[in-house]
Amino acid sequence: MPTDKSDLLQGTLDMLVLKVVALGPVHGYGISQRIRQISKEVLQVQQGSLYPALHRLEKRGWLEAEWGESENGREARFYKLSARGRKQLAAEETNWRRLAEAVGLILETAR
Amino acid sequence: MFFRKRNRETQLDAELRFHIESMTEANIAAGMSPEEARRQAMIEFGGREQIKEELRDVRRIAIVDSTLANVKSAVRFMRKSPSFALTVILTLALGIGANSAVFSAIDAILLRPLPFPNGDRLMRLDQSNRKAAAAAPFVAPVRLADWDRMNSTFQAISGYYEQNESETTGPFPEKLTRAFVAPRFLQVMGVAPALGRDFIPDEEHFGGSSAVLISDRFWRARFNGDPNAVGRVLRVSGYSNTIVGVMPASFRFPDRDVDLWSAVPFDAPYAQNRESTWFIVVGRLKPGVSVPQAQADLTTVQSRLGREFPKPDADLAAGIVPLKETTVGGTRRSLWVLYGSVSLLLLIACTNIAALLLSRATQRHHEIAIRFSLGASRSSVVLQLLSEAFGLALVGAGLGLAVATGTSRVFRILAKDLPRIEEIGLNWRLVFYTLACVIAATLLCALVPAIRATRRGLSGSLSQASRTQVSSRNPLQLALVGVQVALAVALLSGAGLLLRSFQVLGQVSPGFDASHILTFRISGGYGETADMKGLKQRIDRTLDSVRAVPGVEAAATSSDLPGVPDSYAPELNLIEGGSDPARKIVAESRFVSPGYFATMRIPMLSGEDCRETAGPAGVLVNRSFADAYLSGTTAIGRHLAETGNSFLPPGEIRGIAGDARETGINVAPVPTVYWCFSAPGPDPNFLVRTHGDPAGMAQTIRRKIHEIEPARSVFDVMPLEQHLSDAFAENRMRTILLTFFALTAIALASLGLYGTLGYFVTVRRRETGLRIALGAMRGEILRHFLLQGLGISLLGCIAGLGLAAAFTRMLSGMLYGVSPTDATTLLGVILLVIAVAAVASLAPSIRAARVDPMQVLREE
Repeated sequence: MPTDKSDLLQGTLDMLVLKVVALGPVHGYGISQRIRQISKEVLQVQQGSLYPALHRLEKRGWLEAEWGESENGREARFYKLSARGRKQLAAEETNWRRLAEAVGLILETAR
Repeated sequence: MFFRKRNRETQLDAELRFHIESMTEANIAAGMSPEEARRQAMIEFGGREQIKEELRDVRRIAIVDSTLANVKSAVRFMRKSPSFALTVILTLALGIGANSAVFSAIDAILLRPLPFPNGDRLMRLDQSNRKAAAAAPFVAPVRLADWDRMNSTFQAISGYYEQNESETTGPFPEKLTRAFVAPRFLQVMGVAPALGRDFIPDEEHFGGSSAVLISDRFWRARFNGDPNAVGRVLRVSGYSNTIVGVMPASFRFPDRDVDLWSAVPFDAPYAQNRESTWFIVVGRLKPGVSVPQAQADLTTVQSRLGREFPKPDADLAAGIVPLKETTVGGTRRSLWVLYGSVSLLLLIACTNIAALLLSRATQRHHEIAIRFSLGASRSSVVLQLLSEAFGLALVGAGLGLAVATGTSRVFRILAKDLPRIEEIGLNWRLVFYTLACVIAATLLCALVPAIRATRRGLSGSLSQASRTQVSSRNPLQLALVGVQVALAVALLSGAGLLLRSFQVLGQVSPGFDASHILTFRISGGYGETADMKGLKQRIDRTLDSVRAVPGVEAAATSSDLPGVPDSYAPELNLIEGGSDPARKIVAESRFVSPGYFATMRIPMLSGEDCRETAGPAGVLVNRSFADAYLSGTTAIGRHLAETGNSFLPPGEIRGIAGDARETGINVAPVPTVYWCFSAPGPDPNFLVRTHGDPAGMAQTIRRKIHEIEPARSVFDVMPLEQHLSDAFAENRMRTILLTFFALTAIALASLGLYGTLGYFVTVRRRETGLRIALGAMRGEILRHFLLQGLGISLLGCIAGLGLAAAFTRMLSGMLYGVSPTDATTLLGVILLVIAVAAVASLAPSIRAARVDPMQVLREE
């Protein structure tokens, strides 16, 4: 049973994954690398969370997956954003910005 | 496209492997050795199997998908713990197998329509005489024809009667059973010959050509299944008959012994008497007509006939009963009792497994907690646990179905005369029923354990290692053991009562001596009854020559076999008036030859045995009759007549015989009248008292009869004791089966007790060890566990007695000489159960008492 805490994390992770995938078709390993690089090593996604998230997003129809050849010539499963996924990402980004703004406002006022 | 075809499992594997390999490469690029790089990657990646399991969870989209996954998990489960799986499978194979087996009999015998097209529209039509309670229900041919012509609710009405004949085409006469049928017989039954044709009108007229239809069995036995048999001539009882057709193998009507069917000429001069008693009548309802409608119609028809032919039709009433009822009748209650007991047995099996699963769920506690922490929903875990049980039940049911298909053979051995027994077999209905059993059993066994195992409070305690737990009492498991014991007590009580009945029955003195009696019949036709004198001479001649055979002590004939259930109890009247003129006289009536009482060793209380006399026929009455109707008067010399029977002249009472259980060993003697008449019909039962083994005399007597009656066949040659035993075949079948089920039940219940107590002992090993270390006596420990086992068994017994009261009420009509609450039987059952429970509890209790405290502390 997911607790509230992991729900929040999960939701955030889903948004991050969608955002990374929006940059172009990418495999699971690539996603974890990019999140790490872009966040300057602040965010490290555990494989135990990443893959369930990927499969969940695929099942919801936000991601599409197909097998292809990786940069080093291996078979890898590439994920790309579906049209519905793009809409979902936009919605989540808006939501996140509003939330961050609200949290920021509170932090400012309380200072 | 290529990749898509690979199965999901390989895809999951490939995806995760790619990730690990990429990490390994990155590590190598960072300067690690290949082995080290791979090791690090594996560590960083974490539990691959757990991730895969979770991905599988995510993937369980459609029901099909999740079912498949659950089936796989069931298979994994069976592989992981084969002995547990085997226990469950065998228990369920027994439970479901026994249940399906009895269901297959119930379905074939009671539920399915008779094996004729629209068999539920077939009715049996009877006539009854308002004035003479037990007058023959057989219908005169003219009345049958009237019914058929005047009714508006039947498609057709026909009828039959059977006769034992001898076929003399071969070198030796062979007994054949021939059904004489009224016109429209095959039309009513809705069956056509498999070969050849039905009778044509010429063959149904008096003086027309004589034709026969033959049964499939006879066709195969006599003609080796030769299609050219149609058209051949068969000599039956001295007359030639042309075979016009062969009936299909499935057509065994009126009974499974029938060999031939012949048409009765309704226009024959001897067939015009309205008082003759010939036919058992069958009719086929028109579609959509209900039984009450047809009954009303038939009643109207009969009252019209009553006005037209006041004598005898005004006194007659016509009735109808579905043909299935008359075929199946008595077996109904036996079968439902058996079904009740196998259902209890299945319940015990399920309870047993539920207890096993409960113990097991505690062991799998950790596994379930992990699945929860990985985010599996409770319902998916419950579903997984259920499908594990379902898988086991399915395998068990497969085995059980194999058992069930073998059942018809068991039924055939135990009760060969059970009606419709050849229709029992494997079919789709049985498979569906078994599947339904599987689903019910799964829910019964596994739902409660699964729900308990997935309780949040329980599963949340992932950190809590089970080894540090102190005793967790589990009242539910104990209760389940109690339930099993209670159900077993109910079954044992039922079986015990039936066994006691048999025992009491074995000690009953029937009032006649059945030992050393050989019985047989000699073929003869109803046509012979036209010359009663000649018939009597023939039978007397046969009796005389049998009496002359060395080794024969006495011989007689009787219309009915003594002690074999059969009853004909008409109303009688005393010509000179009885002791109480207002009282109706109803008595069992039998026809016996001179020497019957000496042969059967029934004592004469006054007067003399039947003997040849001139003048009115002799009559003997039994003591019950004399006490009931002739007390305070002289019986001998009075005259008796059967009310409403114009065929039977009044007889003179010549003696009083002792009471004998003529109508069944389990039936107390009833007032009985014996008419001294050796030839009441063409083939009475011969009863021969031999000096030695009666079966050993069979050949000698057969040869003797062949000498004097070369054209007649001798059949049903067997000792009277065999008949008496056959008469109890159904009774014996249900007793044997119920006893078997009851013993299985107590075996299962004691296994359940043993297993559950053993589980408690294991769970409380540390506690027990500590207590011993702290100075508890081993005897105390032993007593503690033993009393726990005995205590719950005793509670089960008490509950079981309540259950038994309900169950044995079903048996009330089947018991003899014991009441359903027979204290001896119930006490015996309780003692047996307690003894078995003590044995089952002893082994785990001893194990508990032997716990080595040092070892327990070391493990800690």
